[in-house]
Amino acid sequence: MPADRYGMEARSAYIHVPFCRHRCGYCNFTLVSGRDAWIERYLLNLKRELALLKQPRQLDTLYIGGGTPTHLSSNQLDRLLEIVDEWLPREPTSEFTIEANPSDLKDHRKLDVIRQHGVNRISLGVQSLQPRKLDLLERDHTPREVHDVMNAIRPWLRSISLDLIFGTPDETLDEWKSDIFEASLLPVDHVSTYGLTIEKGTSFWKRKHENSLIELDEDTSASCYEYAIDRLSELGFEHYEISSFSRPAHRCQHNEVYWSGKPFFGFGPGAASYTGTRRDMNHRSTSQYFKLMETGGPAVFESETLNQHRRAKERLVIGLRRMEGWNLAHFEDEYGFSVHGLVGPKLKELIRLGYLIETDSTLKLSRAGLMISDSLWTKILAD
Amino acid sequence: MTAIERNNIRNFCIIAHIDHGKSTLADRLLEHTGTITQREMQEQILDDMELERARGITIKARAVAMHCDIDGTRYELNLIDTPGHVDFHYEVSRSLACCEGALLLVDAFQGVEAQTVANVYAAMGHDLAVIPVINKIDLKHQRADEVALEMEQSLGLPMDESIRVSAKTGIGIPDLMSAILKRIPPPEGERDSPLQAMVFDSHYDEFRGVITYVRVMNGTLFKGQKIHFINTGSVHEVLELGQFAPKRRPCEELQAGEVGYVICNIKSLDKVKIGDTISVPGEKSGTALSGYQEPPRMVYCGLYPSDGQDFSELRDALTKLSINDPSFEFEPESSDALGFGFRCGFLGLLHMEIIQQRLEGEADIDLVQTAPNVTYQIMTKMGEILEIHRPQEVPDSGQIAEFRQPIVRVNIVIPEEYVGAVMKLCTERRGVQTGQEYLSPTRVMLTYELPLGDVIYDMHDKLKSNTRGYGTMDYEVIGYQPADLVRMDILVNGNKVDALSVICNRGDADRRGRAVVKKLKEEISRHMFEVAVQAAIGSRVIARETVKALRKNVTAKCYGGDISRKRKLWQKQKEGKKRMKSIGSVDIPQKAFMAVLDTGEAGK
Ligand SMILES: Nc1nc2c(ncn2[C@@H]2O[C@H](COP(=O)(O)OP(=O)(O)O)[C@@H](O)[C@H]2O)c(=O)[nH]1
Ligand code: SF4
Ligand SMILES: [Mg+2]
Repeated sequence: MPADRYGMEARSAYIHVPFCRHRCGYCNFTLVSGRDAWIERYLLNLKRELALLKQPRQLDTLYIGGGTPTHLSSNQLDRLLEIVDEWLPREPTSEFTIEANPSDLKDHRKLDVIRQHGVNRISLGVQSLQPRKLDLLERDHTPREVHDVMNAIRPWLRSISLDLIFGTPDETLDEWKSDIFEASLLPVDHVSTYGLTIEKGTSFWKRKHENSLIELDEDTSASCYEYAIDRLSELGFEHYEISSFSRPAHRCQHNEVYWSGKPFFGFGPGAASYTGTRRDMNHRSTSQYFKLMETGGPAVFESETLNQHRRAKERLVIGLRRMEGWNLAHFEDEYGFSVHGLVGPKLKELIRLGYLIETDSTLKLSRAGLMISDSLWTKILAD
Repeated sequence: MTAIERNNIRNFCIIAHIDHGKSTLADRLLEHTGTITQREMQEQILDDMELERARGITIKARAVAMHCDIDGTRYELNLIDTPGHVDFHYEVSRSLACCEGALLLVDAFQGVEAQTVANVYAAMGHDLAVIPVINKIDLKHQRADEVALEMEQSLGLPMDESIRVSAKTGIGIPDLMSAILKRIPPPEGERDSPLQAMVFDSHYDEFRGVITYVRVMNGTLFKGQKIHFINTGSVHEVLELGQFAPKRRPCEELQAGEVGYVICNIKSLDKVKIGDTISVPGEKSGTALSGYQEPPRMVYCGLYPSDGQDFSELRDALTKLSINDPSFEFEPESSDALGFGFRCGFLGLLHMEIIQQRLEGEADIDLVQTAPNVTYQIMTKMGEILEIHRPQEVPDSGQIAEFRQPIVRVNIVIPEEYVGAVMKLCTERRGVQTGQEYLSPTRVMLTYELPLGDVIYDMHDKLKSNTRGYGTMDYEVIGYQPADLVRMDILVNGNKVDALSVICNRGDADRRGRAVVKKLKEEISRHMFEVAVQAAIGSRVIARETVKALRKNVTAKCYGGDISRKRKLWQKQKEGKKRMKSIGSVDIPQKAFMAVLDTGEAGK
C-alpha cells in the first residue's frame, strides 16, 4: 500500500464541514459560527482538496460530519454532495452518514437533497430530550421537533443514530433515565452517549473557573453511564464500543474503520487521513485551511508516523475500547507483538486486578475496567 | 590615596522597616558624596542580587566607603548595609558590631514598625549612636510630627533630634550628612595593637574566590600579610585588600577603624564564617572578638528529587548553592517513603524559600519538599540531650524525660483597634503576654512569648490578615522550654509515611489530625483503589479519611483524527507527574507534604 495520503487505496472517507449556527458552550470542535459567508469559499477549497485524489475513489463508508453539515443551505448542501459524488462514489451497499441538527431538518428541501444523494444513515445531534438540558447545552431544538424529524426520515433511511449527553451540571440520575426512556420510544437503530467533559477553550470552561458552573460529581456521572449501559442493553442495543450502542446489524461501519486501524481519507479543516502507518492532519483553522488550499495544497498541518512498537500499543488501546476486545492471535499476526510481550508485567497486574479479562483467545475490558479505562490506557501506553 | 585619620572616619548602618526607604537613602548618600555620579546611578545600587530585586528585600549586607571634604578636612563614611529580614538576625548583629552609629529610618507616613523597634534595641545594645531619621517627607500624607513623637515615646529618641528627609527628592540630605559627622563618634582602636578584624560578610566571586568583608578593630591589615581566621583556624596570605566605592578599589593597608575587603586565595565560602576574627598567626595574635556563633538554623526540611529525577543532580546543585550561601546546611538523609534526599537547615522560612527557588529556577530541578519544622530538644531518661531536626528522630515516648521547644519573644505593632483580634491569635497559639505599650495614641506594641513553631510558618500571614495588612512583627529566640509535645504520624493505606510525620502539642493533636487528613484527602487524587489516610499517635489512630476509588475516568469520543490527540493525553497523564512521589502505589503530590502544616484553626 503506498503511504501517500491521496494515492493510497482507502475505502473510507471523512469530510469535515466546519460551520455551525452558534458555538455551543461545551464544544471545542473545529468550526466557525457566524461566518456563513465563508461557506462558498469552503466549497471551492474542498473541491480543490478532493481533486488532489486525481481520480475518483470507490468507497465502502463515507461520513460527513462537523460542525453542522446541515447548517448549509439546501443549495449549498446540494453542491457539497455533488462534489462528493464526483470524487467519492459509493456502492449501493456502502454506508453513507451525515450528521444533522434536528431543527435544520425541518427544511424539507434539505431532506430532499440528502435523500437524492444517497445518504442512508443520519446521525442526529439530539443530546437530550429534556428541556432543561437542551437549554443548558444551548441547543436550538425541542423534544417535539426531534419526534417530527424522526418520523419524516425514518421511512427512507437505513439507520438512524442519535447522540445523547449525560453528566451535565446539576443533572440527576432520574433526569438521565428520562432521556434514555424517551429515546427508547423513538425509532432509532443506534445511540452514542457521551459524558459531558468541560474542555479548555469552551465557554463552559470559563464559567467553571469563575465558579458559575459546577461540574457534575464523578459518582453521579458514573451512575448515569452505568445506567445507560444496563438499560440500553435490556432494550436490545449492543454495547459495542465505549460510547456506542446499536441494534443488531446497525453498528457504525465508518467508526469501526477507525477503531480497527484501517486506512481512511479525511478532507476539510482539521480532518485527518490515515494510511495504516501515517496520520496526516489538516490545519484546524478554517482560514489557514483556505490559504493552504488556495496556494496549491495540501492543507496538512501535522503528520505522525509511529514506530512499530508505539503503533502496536495505540492499536491495542483503541481495539480494547471495543467491547469485544482483541483476538490475541489476530493481534500478534497483525502487529508482530504478543500483548504480553508488548505491555510487560503491568498487563498481568491489570488482569489480576480484574480490569481486563483474558481468555484463551481474547483480551477485553471488564465492567470495572471500562469505568476507569483512561487510567488503564495511561498505564499501557507508558514505556 | 592618603590614609584618612581615624578621627575623621564614621562607620554606620541604616536600620529601617522594609520599604521605608533604606536603599533609596543609600543611593542619595552615594550621590551626595560624589561616590557615584547621577549618570552611573542605577537605582538602589546596594541591592544587586536579582532575587533581592525580585523580592525587594535586602538579603546580603554590603559595605561602601564614601568621602567628603568639609572645611578642608577629608572624611570617610563607611555605610554598612544590613539585611532587613528577621531570618538574618545574626548577620545584622555582626554588622552592628562593626559600626559606631546607626541611622534609624522611619517612613513619615507608616511610622514605627515592629522590626524597627527590634533593630533599634539591637543597635542600642551595641552602644551605637542612633540618629532618628524621618523619610518621605515629600509625601502628601506625611505625618512627620506624629512619627517624631512616636519615636520619642516608644524608643526614647528625643523628638528634636530627628532629621527629616526625602530620600527620593534629596531634601534634608545635607543636614543628615552633618548629623552623621557630628553625632556619630569616630571609631576607637589602635593601629599598633595586635590585629583584630571582624568578618561581617562575604561573597563569592567567580574569578577571585571569596571576598571577605571586614572591619578592622585594632591593628593594621596589609597586602602580603599572613592572616589567621581565629575561629575556623585557617591561615592565608592577603593577596588584595581595599574598599568598596562601590566597586572594589584596592589599597595597601586597612587600619584600625576602617572598613573594607580582603581577598586571599580562598575557594569556598564555608571557610569564611561571619563573626569570625582575623588576626595574625603566632605570638603576636590578638584575641577573638566576642559574639561569634554558627549561623543559627531555625528550620529544617527534607528536599528530595521528584519521581524520575536524579539524586546526584540535586546533590551537585546543593553543593553549588552552598558555595554562595554557607548559612544553609545540608546532609544526605533517607526516608522510607521518599528514598534518598537531603535534610537541609535554614536561617528561617524566607531563607528556605530563597534556596528552594534558586534550586528550581537556576538548577531546574524538580523537587519534593517536606514540611519545614523547627529544632526541638529531647532529654532522654538516660539524661542525654537530643537535637531533633526531623520528626522521624523522636524516640519512643517511653524514652523521653522531657520534650522541649524553642520559644521566641515576639513584638507586634498594630493599630489599636486590632488589639483584641491579635491577642486572640496569640492566645490560641499558647502565647504568654509580657508587654503592652502605646507607641502613640492609636498604635500599640504587644509583646508575647510564643513557641517558635507556632510563629514561623504562618503567624505573619495570620497577623496581616487579622489587621488588614497593618500589623508588623519581629521575633527573637529566647530559649527552650518544656512542653507537652507528641509526634503525629500519617498512615497511607496502613503504611506509615515517615516524611509526613509532624511534632505538635498533645492538646492540639486531635484537631490537627482531623485537619491534616482532611487536607490530604483533598490533595491526593482518586486512584484505581481506595486510599485510606489516617493520623495516629503511637498506635492510636486519631483521625481517618478515605479517598474513594476512581469511579469513572472514561474518554467518550475517540474518532479518526482525534485518536492521536487522545493517545497523547493518556500518555501525558503519566509524564505529567511533576513534583510527585509514588509511595507504595499511591501518588502523593508536593502539596500533600505541606498539608501537615494545617493547624485546623478556625477561619482557615
Ligand atoms: N515619596 C517617597 N518615596 C520614597 C522615598 N524613599 C523611598 N521611597 C520609595 O519607597 C519604596 C521603598 O524604598 P526602598 O529604598 O526600596 O526601601 P527599603 O526596602 O527600605 O530598601 C520605593 O518605591 C521608593 O521609591 C521618599 O523619600 N519619598
Ligand atoms: S452544533 Fe455540535 S459541532 Fe456545532 S457547536 Fe454545537 S456541539 Fe459543536
Ligand atoms: Mg532595599
